[in-house]
Amino acid sequence: MVDAAILSARDLGLAYGSIVALHGVDFDLPPGRIGLVGANGAGKTTLIKILLGILRPTLGSAGVLGFDATKDMLDVRSRIGYMPEGDCLPLDISAAEFVAYAAGLAGLPRNAARQRASDVLTLVGLEEERFRPLEGYSTGMKQRTKLAQAIVHDPELVFLDEPTAGLDPEGREEMLELISRLGGFGINVLVSSHVLGDIERTCDWVLMLDGGRVLRSGPLSHLVDAETVAVEVIGDIDAVAQHLIAAGATVDESGQRLLVSTSADDAFRLVRDALADTGSGMRSLGPKATTLEDVFLEGSGS
Amino acid sequence: MTERGVVFDLGYVPYEGERRARRGAIATTYRDGIYRVFGIRRRARKKILPWILVVFAMLPAIVFVGFAFLLSTFSPEAESPFGSHGDYFSITGGVVLLFVALAAPELLIPDRREGVLSVYSSRPLLPDDYIGTRSASLLTVVAAFMLIPQVLMYIGFAALSADGFFTALVTNADEIPRILAATVVYALAYAPLALLVATIASRKAAATGIYLGLMFVGAGLAAALVEATTLPGSRYAALLAVDGHPDYVRDWIFGTTGSSETTIANAGLDPWISLAVIVVVAAVSSIFVVWRYRRLM
Repeated sequence: MVDAAILSARDLGLAYGSIVALHGVDFDLPPGRIGLVGANGAGKTTLIKILLGILRPTLGSAGVLGFDATKDMLDVRSRIGYMPEGDCLPLDISAAEFVAYAAGLAGLPRNAARQRASDVLTLVGLEEERFRPLEGYSTGMKQRTKLAQAIVHDPELVFLDEPTAGLDPEGREEMLELISRLGGFGINVLVSSHVLGDIERTCDWVLMLDGGRVLRSGPLSHLVDAETVAVEVIGDIDAVAQHLIAAGATVDESGQRLLVSTSADDAFRLVRDALADTGSGMRSLGPKATTLEDVFLEGSGS
Repeated sequence: MTERGVVFDLGYVPYEGERRARRGAIATTYRDGIYRVFGIRRRARKKILPWILVVFAMLPAIVFVGFAFLLSTFSPEAESPFGSHGDYFSITGGVVLLFVALAAPELLIPDRREGVLSVYSSRPLLPDDYIGTRSASLLTVVAAFMLIPQVLMYIGFAALSADGFFTALVTNADEIPRILAATVVYALAYAPLALLVATIASRKAAATGIYLGLMFVGAGLAAALVEATTLPGSRYAALLAVDGHPDYVRDWIFGTTGSSETTIANAGLDPWISLAVIVVVAAVSSIFVVWRYRRLM
């Protein structure tokens, strides 16, 4: 359970005819940067559209910033921003015009909207190009403009749907850097992505969806904590493995590499003793880096 | 000693000013609609056609008042040789038809094609607000096209009247409700159908073509059917002349029914039937457009 959840769902479900997009979804998500991960078709975009009030759930309810996402749709939309995955930019006007327009659509007066548009476009690195028509922008510039329109009105929470889609490595780095900074601006973030590395880089809480259900929900640090030790052995690996098993450890052998875990003792100490007792050497030793991908694959049974 | 300037990096500054929520979103969308149909804050090529049509709608009124001024200079008692307020709708009606054919697609299609609807969907704006505001923008411009030249003529001719300005204003005051009624009729006859076509078509050029095709092909088809068929009730084929209905109702409003040789007039249909057709087509078109946008947003 999370205190003061900014996003919540209770038995949330939605079906398109016979196709179930979400089923029995329950979660409470805390303020901060939240990663929404799942394969294509897992229900990420459907969930975001329910939270925005665009789609009405067929079952259950969803809450955003303390409001009911369906009944209080206008209250929710007054407090959030949204960067869609697909195109959302009118190509015949400049970024400055469009972002100011987006601010006006959020209810800001004209002068304030223009000032905010200028400030936010500078923030995302488009101060030089902001008066050029959007049709001449690169993919990276368009993504930054999309982010600018999502935060121009200083929302309490912003939904970013696949923000790094289509970006080259440099553009991706810049976008992830921008997302990481949003928390410092007092803006809560929900980042939807199927690129788990992006979530690991930017988020501190993860909600995993698989087949329209919640797979995991928790702090990133808990999900990827390393309790397993990886050691690359020089010498008789079978003898080392047998020694570890005899000491009560669980061992997974792959080539010259052993993954060692134990609940009763310090895995590092067991490995040290096994190597010493069998007269073996080692090339490397350290905690196994459990990635979000490992957690996802383990949870989804892939 | 000169003080050196200092650059402060203010970074991100939270916004703590006024937020007008839905009211602000509606006002912004409405204003954008007006700007968009005139190409304001857009490239020069987007401005050309709308402003040419503005000139076509306004220039005759200016010329009429100018000629009336010249005429009154030589003979203060002379009547203006130019047509009435009702007749002027014949000029602006055609111009407005072309303007609406261009403006309705410009208002609706780019937002759909370029995915901008997803931005509206994340703002405090309901689908009905969006389509209602877009429609209001178009109707405002149509009303301006119709009314501004009429106001110019009304005031201009009153200023040149031998009876005096204020006397002429009062004497001709009964024209005002007729002008307003005719404006509403033209707006209802042209705008909702154009918005319907723009809701269905995926490209602006296609929408303009389909709309003008409906208007002109309908008129031709109606004329052919009425003339070629002798079956009882065949005169009702004249109702297909969609573009002729507002002219026919306008003649009724200004009390000049029978003065024009349109297919509908020749078929001998009552003007209220034309008015009913205008209202039904506008209602059905509006219902469809609202239904469609509730599904899209």
